[in-house]
Amino acid sequence: MNDFVSTYGFLFVSMILGAMLGLSLYLPLMAGQLSLASPGFYALGGYVAAILSTKVFQVKEPFPIALLLLEMLIAGIICGLLGVIVGVPALRLRGIYLAIATIAFVEILRVLALNLDVTGGAVGIFGIPQPFQSPIEYLWIVLPLLLISMAFVYRLEKIRVGRAFIAIREDELAADSMGINPTYYKALAFTLGAILAGVVGAISAHFLNTWNARQGTFDASIIYLTFVLIGGSRTFLGPVLGGMVFTALPEILRAIADTPGLPVWLAQFLRDGRLIIFGLLIVIGTRFFPQGLVTPQLLKRRSRSQANR
Amino acid sequence: MREVYYVVNQLLGCPPAANYPLDFMTLTLRSTLFMIFALLSACQSSTTNSSQSTGGVSGAIPIGIAVAQTSNVALLGQEQVAGAKIAEKYFNDNGGVNGTPIRLVFQDTAGDEAGAINAFQTLITKDKVVGIVGPTLSQQAFGADPIADRAKVPVLAPSNTAKGIPQIGNFIARVSAPVAVVAPNAVKAALKINPQIKRVAVLFAQNDAFSKSETETFQQTVKDQNLELVTVQKFQTTDTDFQTQATSTLNLKPDLVIISGLAADGGNLVRQLRELGYKGLIIGGNGLNTSNVFSVCKALCDGVLIAQAYSPEQTGGVNKAFREAYQTQFKKEPPQFSAQAFTAVQVYVEALKAVDKQTKVAQKSLPELRAALNQTLLKGQYESPIGTISFTPEGEIVQKEFYVAQIKMDASGNNGKFAFLK
Repeated sequence: MNDFVSTYGFLFVSMILGAMLGLSLYLPLMAGQLSLASPGFYALGGYVAAILSTKVFQVKEPFPIALLLLEMLIAGIICGLLGVIVGVPALRLRGIYLAIATIAFVEILRVLALNLDVTGGAVGIFGIPQPFQSPIEYLWIVLPLLLISMAFVYRLEKIRVGRAFIAIREDELAADSMGINPTYYKALAFTLGAILAGVVGAISAHFLNTWNARQGTFDASIIYLTFVLIGGSRTFLGPVLGGMVFTALPEILRAIADTPGLPVWLAQFLRDGRLIIFGLLIVIGTRFFPQGLVTPQLLKRRSRSQANR
Repeated sequence: MREVYYVVNQLLGCPPAANYPLDFMTLTLRSTLFMIFALLSACQSSTTNSSQSTGGVSGAIPIGIAVAQTSNVALLGQEQVAGAKIAEKYFNDNGGVNGTPIRLVFQDTAGDEAGAINAFQTLITKDKVVGIVGPTLSQQAFGADPIADRAKVPVLAPSNTAKGIPQIGNFIARVSAPVAVVAPNAVKAALKINPQIKRVAVLFAQNDAFSKSETETFQQTVKDQNLELVTVQKFQTTDTDFQTQATSTLNLKPDLVIISGLAADGGNLVRQLRELGYKGLIIGGNGLNTSNVFSVCKALCDGVLIAQAYSPEQTGGVNKAFREAYQTQFKKEPPQFSAQAFTAVQVYVEALKAVDKQTKVAQKSLPELRAALNQTLLKGQYESPIGTISFTPEGEIVQKEFYVAQIKMDASGNNGKFAFLK
């Protein structure tokens, strides 16, 4: 059991980080905005933590957890401010045009990171101090954070602001005529997603030991979008489940490939063709579960059938 | 539907529940599909653990190889796999570690940091290797090496050339000479060919970690040799059009152009410089150190100088055996990445031999063996395909032989080779 935890400790934490990144993309999607900017804020949050912990706070290992929380706060604030600055003009665009604009934003941040001295160019920042002895201990930070953000989004879906998001998603014109200010709520949803992505980035920088410009790229945008689309884009449980499953899948396939007794060719295919299987599952998922794996109807029917019993 | 549900429950060992409402069933089915994956992996990993958790190493000695077998770095990773496999066969045929064979365990790191960390974790706790060879990229090393260092598992980097790798920790060493040592040789060779060189232009791919650190070395060397650095131009590895960089470089009339990039972009840049009429010498960085550039710049590749950490013509006995094995399998000269991976495995085997002479490897517990291996390997001296090597106490390689090769293309421009300069 101990070995199991130390082998997969890193994976458990990655899964929870994946779930939160899914949520950060889900927040703007709640207001109907297809934004792919999350990886940009994730990268920015990571750089904030990496620079603060290697250049500003000169402390010995283990890195104090209080400072880690402080970094998460600072990263969240910076990403939130940038979210407002970027969000207000960018959210005048809709649909695919917004997606393109946010991709451009991610690209700009990446090129900036490559050219600035403080971000270490292409090599990035390394030797980021560790607050914990082993990866599994990061659960102390990420698990509460996931629960808080899930509770937050769950409540958000119930209150006035969340209802406004959903109204805009279903029909922006109708929502506007009902007295909902679409620009305000769209920018709010976008900023909330940005803050969450920034905070996750700050943890990830410590968690990965190193941070560089390859962290927030266009590829990452697509993977996070997969989390949400396959997981389910109509309820917050979808991205959480999607983020966990799709972060774990390549490693699970690796573990299955190592099962003793498998024919060599099958093990070889599972090992080298991991990413092919991954892609196939995405195609199959979108074909058979177009609304994602977790849909509101599913949850509703379940609670109804239990009530009837 | 019901049958599937029943079978799934049977698999998971749950009691059959035929009277559940259908809706609840569909929900359960969806989540069970995922649970099966998770349980499968959990079950199998716990079985392997229980069989191996006691005592040290019995049977063949496992050595981990964590390189990029998939993703966009796989071109390099596959060469490393080839080198390591040849080493496994060669050393086992020659008696292994005083009679005990070695066994290489491959785990794919893919091209990112998380992949490298996962591969390292699996090798350390599940495969229980005595040491690790990897990862392919320096950026991945900055992510994964601290994990191995904290677990006190030796790591030998076969291809990490960035500054600061051995400094990550006591258990980290490398057999790949840092750029700061290899790159200056090419500039010296260029000066030997044309002593009149005065004006130097430097171009580099700014989004590639290796090219970024390599160009800093090149620029320093240019200054140390009292040459005039007329311009520094940046490009991206994904670029295909280099007219801007090429024209502004040519306007400054350089006698020497130094390019740090990867095969596709570097090759294109060489071609466009030549097409715009540049006649002087060109030095390519290590990213161009592959036969893949031949198809990019064709006949215009001719004459590009590249510094090498390995030459197939190295005269040692081990290299002869390695080169022969590689040539019979792949019908071409072994590349530097394969030679370095071979060397890394060799260092482990010879250090294990030295450890085994004092106390039998099978009698040591795994943590003891890993610590002893790390200490011993840093002290030794190795006759490897890349020449005689040893390590500094920090884990940095001390390599004596470096080479400079010049690309020679045949008349058709389709085939070429690296001709090693004396």
